[in-house]
Amino acid sequence: MIIQHLELTDFRNYVSAQITLTDGVTAVIGDNGQGKTNLVEALSYLATLKSFRGVPTEAMIRTGADTAVIRATITHVDGREVLIEAELTRTGRNKVLVNKQKLAKSRDLLGVVRTTVFSPQDLNLVQDAPSVRRNFLDDALVALWPKHDALCSEVERVLKQRNALLKQSGGRLSPDIATTLDVWDEKLATHGTQLGDVRAQMLEMLLPQVQEAYVELAELNEDQTPVGMVYAPEWRTQGLARCLSECRNDDVRRGSSTVGPHRDDIELSINGLPARTHASQGEQRTLALALRLAVHRLITTEIGSPPVLILDDVLSELDPHRSAALLRHFPLGQVLITSAGVLPKTAHPDFSVHIAGGTIRED
Amino acid sequence: MNSAYTPPMQALIDALGRLPGVGPKGAQRIAFHLLKSDSVDVERLAHSITEAKALVRFCDHCFNFSDGPICRICDDDRRDSSMLCVVEESRDVIAIEKTGEFRGRYHVLLGAMNPLEGIGPEQLKIRELLARLDTEGVKEVILCTNPNTEGDVTAMYLARLLKPLGLRITRIASGLPVGGDLEYADELTLGRALEGRREMPG
Repeated sequence: MIIQHLELTDFRNYVSAQITLTDGVTAVIGDNGQGKTNLVEALSYLATLKSFRGVPTEAMIRTGADTAVIRATITHVDGREVLIEAELTRTGRNKVLVNKQKLAKSRDLLGVVRTTVFSPQDLNLVQDAPSVRRNFLDDALVALWPKHDALCSEVERVLKQRNALLKQSGGRLSPDIATTLDVWDEKLATHGTQLGDVRAQMLEMLLPQVQEAYVELAELNEDQTPVGMVYAPEWRTQGLARCLSECRNDDVRRGSSTVGPHRDDIELSINGLPARTHASQGEQRTLALALRLAVHRLITTEIGSPPVLILDDVLSELDPHRSAALLRHFPLGQVLITSAGVLPKTAHPDFSVHIAGGTIRED
Repeated sequence: MNSAYTPPMQALIDALGRLPGVGPKGAQRIAFHLLKSDSVDVERLAHSITEAKALVRFCDHCFNFSDGPICRICDDDRRDSSMLCVVEESRDVIAIEKTGEFRGRYHVLLGAMNPLEGIGPEQLKIRELLARLDTEGVKEVILCTNPNTEGDVTAMYLARLLKPLGLRITRIASGLPVGGDLEYADELTLGRALEGRREMPG
């Protein structure tokens, strides 16, 4: 899959801009604050319908404008050409058109465009709270099997409703609240268990890929497997339904759901020690890269063609060995590398574009 | 904010904009249309709104919209009282009536369980539903709430409540639209349709 043309209107600092892209490596060069990341953020929005910077839609609309438009032409491996138009609005719903046809649900777009984004914030995958790792796993799930997006949002919806009910209870478990809670618990148990199952399945597929990627990036011997990745929430062994009923009094008193898939974590370890607390900064960075690389490869094998690879300002943070190793181990399709300075020699860009103040100049 | 419209016009646009399915642009369009129209037509519209609001009420039995204390369906002796179809809103009654497939009676809950909007079982017409089951000889309750999170939970709640009464409790099936193609169905619908598959007579 190749993104051939991208057009932005009122997106971030771009009033109106367009760029023609080709297969191979494109370097996106510009000083800080000129719009390099904004450009690749627009691309990844088409893949995930959210910002990889984790900001609300509103932040992506140019100050002073009401709507932002991202328009892209992509070509699939089989030669099929698709025109995608996404309209982001401050109020109301975001619209998506594929070949000028309006999509009933914008999430039907998932799977049409695929991107893998590496950014300096990836270090959060190892260092931050469990939610970051949970989202990483769920994003991988949806990228690989878009239908699971519905499952994730159903679980989220049921949790919101259940928490609203718990807050209404005012800390007292009346018989009325109890019978109503019964049905919300049953709904949460059904969908939560499904989500746990697919997360476990996803992790099982990812683990060998992460282990392999880490060994390659850290240039270790092939027979070593220092990385561990465990997804074993307690509720999955006891059953979510049982855990929910055991925690009921606690939940009512606190006014929130204390057990369930929304509190899961993935424990990452290097040489048997927790990566968050025991690994060096360099090891953590390598592990974060290995996680992204693993998803990228898994999608490439399962889908049959590599997602568009976006390296947002990451090469500058790696030593020459690691950046060379990273570029060497990618199944390369279309690649965009943003950088404030000159790229390392190993990057071999086929094309360069220069960004300044929201305008794009192609070489 | 300084409005570009005269105050009465702005008030009209604001009022129209509060209607479901009408956005700011739509409200403006309707307002312009009304002000250009014949005053007879406009008065007829205003009259039909106030009259409908004054005369239409909820049926005492089933909480469907009605022009009297008892709605036409509840008042119809040819209807089969042993089957009761439970729906969220009056518009669902109309949708099912249009099929012509159902000759039983209805009960409108006036919503679905939705804690985020402060709607629990007490806010729905569930107590009234239980009272009807005692007196009307109902044998089967068909739960026709919407196939979404809130509708499903409401159906589950009612099923738990009604099962012990020894009635037959059924849930409307979810599945594929008739005349459609399998390949265009979304995964969720197709999944549910597979779950609810039926054995073919040989």
